[in-house]
Amino acid sequence: MSPTALTRMKAAPHAHAEEIPGGYAGKLLRVNLTTGKIWSQPWTPDDMRLYVGGVGLGAKILYDEVGPRVNWDHPDNRLILATGPLAGLPVWGTGGLTVVTRGAMTNGATSTQANGFFGACLKFSGYDAIVIQGRAPRWVSLYINDDAVELRDARHLLGKDTWETQDALSAEHGLSGHRLSVYSIGPAGENLVRFAAIQGDYGHVASKNGCGAVMGKKRLKAVCIVRGTRALAAADSRGVIQAADDIAHDLKTDPSARSLYEWGTLPAVTGLYKMGVLPIKNYTTNLAPPDVNMADWEGPKLRQGFDHRGHQCSACGMHHCHIQVIPKGKHKGELVDEPEYEGWSGAGWAIGCTDPVAVAWLNTRIDRACVDVNEFGWLCGWVMEGIETGYITRAQLGFDLRWGDAEGAARLLQLISHRKGLGDLLAEGVKRAAEKLGGAAQDAAIYTLKGASPRGHDHRARWDEMLDTCTASTGTLESGIPVHVTEVGLPPRINPFNGEEVAQQVAGIRGRRHFEDSLGACIFTTRTRLENICRALSAATGWHYTVDESVRFGRRTAAILRAFNLRCGIGPEVEHPSKRYGSTPTDGPAKGQAIGQQWGKMLDTWYTLVGYDRKTGRPKPETLKKLGLDWLHKDLWGKKR
Amino acid sequence: MKVLKIVPEKCTGCLRCELACSYMQTGAFQPAKSVIRVSPYEGHTSYAPYTCTQCAEGWCMTACPVGAITITPAGAKDVVDDRCVGCKLCTIACPYGTIFYDHDTRKAFKCDLCGGAPACAEACPTAAIVYEETTTADWLADFAVERSARLLASGAR
Repeated sequence: MSPTALTRMKAAPHAHAEEIPGGYAGKLLRVNLTTGKIWSQPWTPDDMRLYVGGVGLGAKILYDEVGPRVNWDHPDNRLILATGPLAGLPVWGTGGLTVVTRGAMTNGATSTQANGFFGACLKFSGYDAIVIQGRAPRWVSLYINDDAVELRDARHLLGKDTWETQDALSAEHGLSGHRLSVYSIGPAGENLVRFAAIQGDYGHVASKNGCGAVMGKKRLKAVCIVRGTRALAAADSRGVIQAADDIAHDLKTDPSARSLYEWGTLPAVTGLYKMGVLPIKNYTTNLAPPDVNMADWEGPKLRQGFDHRGHQCSACGMHHCHIQVIPKGKHKGELVDEPEYEGWSGAGWAIGCTDPVAVAWLNTRIDRACVDVNEFGWLCGWVMEGIETGYITRAQLGFDLRWGDAEGAARLLQLISHRKGLGDLLAEGVKRAAEKLGGAAQDAAIYTLKGASPRGHDHRARWDEMLDTCTASTGTLESGIPVHVTEVGLPPRINPFNGEEVAQQVAGIRGRRHFEDSLGACIFTTRTRLENICRALSAATGWHYTVDESVRFGRRTAAILRAFNLRCGIGPEVEHPSKRYGSTPTDGPAKGQAIGQQWGKMLDTWYTLVGYDRKTGRPKPETLKKLGLDWLHKDLWGKKR
Repeated sequence: MKVLKIVPEKCTGCLRCELACSYMQTGAFQPAKSVIRVSPYEGHTSYAPYTCTQCAEGWCMTACPVGAITITPAGAKDVVDDRCVGCKLCTIACPYGTIFYDHDTRKAFKCDLCGGAPACAEACPTAAIVYEETTTADWLADFAVERSARLLASGAR
């Protein structure tokens, strides 16, 4: 089975090598799937400083190249797979990929991340990002091996899930382990499930806003990159290593990162449960069933309950990603990716499943069929509640589906990913399915009016993330985890149920996440002071990059994405939680805390502080000026300043 | 004396050692030129770094027709670039496949223990690579005996 080469790229020019700042490969790889044309495009050092990489670079390309009539499923939509200046360097967790596109869930901007080795492999091949446009006449995969870049026939890969796709491509190329990084879509993406995701390197998922549906629409089954042979220079290599060591020390010892270092996101299950943030049975309760001992859900227990082994991303020392083996039951011996917190919640608690073995198995099934685990949790939980209360019947579904039934959930996943029966409606995501059914069904669904799926939390007890999810322009959160907030002038602690303080915090930390997501790193390994990250970036590039510049850069990126969404017709009118999502918890630690009562005021405060117009949602002229975005003024306000 | 030891079960396959090594070898981050290489096993589930063990009976040294491989003060067999003619005989002689040929410089290259402070050991986040005192340079034999005994005892094939 030797794949057919459809197109071969001409050797790329190395014209401006001497000007490229350290940490950059200096070129973007452009692919037009319609025509099969592949070319490389150098980018300038000025643009590198201005747009950095990842979401920063992606936002600018998206704004410039995707017009308002180019919907998510239009061939002219761009699928941007970008990494950043730290990818491939020895800073921990620097295999990072940021996917930027016009996504299927919101039909607006998308920024969603995954890691593994994609970013490092791409950089060693000589590219900072891949920009994909058009639609292939037949299914293809993109193969990158230094200067040999080809579109290859992928029809034999159709129907394979993401792990099978990577297995098949590894076998075809005779490359195992991290010698080949493969990011692909599963059956869900092929069948344009609206919340389909892109998965790579066995367990890393760019999951948000239906980026997998965009890839499916383009008939691109996979992107596979042979670990390149190019050299990646840093302006001050010793400085990069020193900054990396300092960041590592911080991650190992700082209280805000240490449990992540030791156990990844596992401890969040019990930690968030204690705050009423663990979503249980489609937000119908915040209390664990009486037969569940929460001590069994402590991080160390979850890990040690399985035969497991570290499966880290590029250059990473966090004890985070692991591969594990299903120890018992029907699926005994199956290899799975250790669920993240989001998996324990989306494939577990949100659907009432409290058997860790079943959750671990289902979670990887979700990654393999390849949909967003959060949206799947909200959707599956909503179907289970519907069967229980009657807004969905067994006859409609074709089988019974009760709370906690992981096997049934896997069956539902198959229906959805192949769009069979009721699965065809459910493949549109819980928002669209619930709006179609209306009434009690709509009242029970967890979604944002914008279409973005909330993360696997009960945000009724985590107001900062609900506000962020509703106001963000990325199809998910955009403002970041409130760590080291004093560094940007915020108080170290707030009352989480004081809407005013929450809105101040969300607005105040704005910028940090966009910056992190532009570096080709991971938000867990950048959970140190911004100062340290800026030091690593400065050593890599030779710039003098300050905390102020990083925040300003992040906010500039946020404003570009906001302008993109406004141009797509997505404005403040949809910045609202659904009825269930914005409801008041009736039990548990956050019982009676009503975000609905403070919502309007929170938005007012947020808009004032971020400098956007409350009514139209547009960044105000003075905000644009402050961020160096004068070029956006005319587009947003219709006249020259 | 100090030797570079591998503890394969601790390796998570992050490949940070390759970055550090290539930086010491070439001044840039370029894993393709690292002389420590991480191999995947059992599909993608297990990894182990591997590099020159500086074996007592250096076949690379014996094979070299121009005497370009010498022993450094740190106890490493190292290629003297000025003498190496790039004939690749050493890469054929080495039973472990840990001496390489660089197409750019047209010379053989291998682990030189970074002059006594191996960067890979320093870079490894999980201590899967350690540089430590042993009674014999031939640590690999003890390792192999110990590992075989352990696997046999556990009933593995």
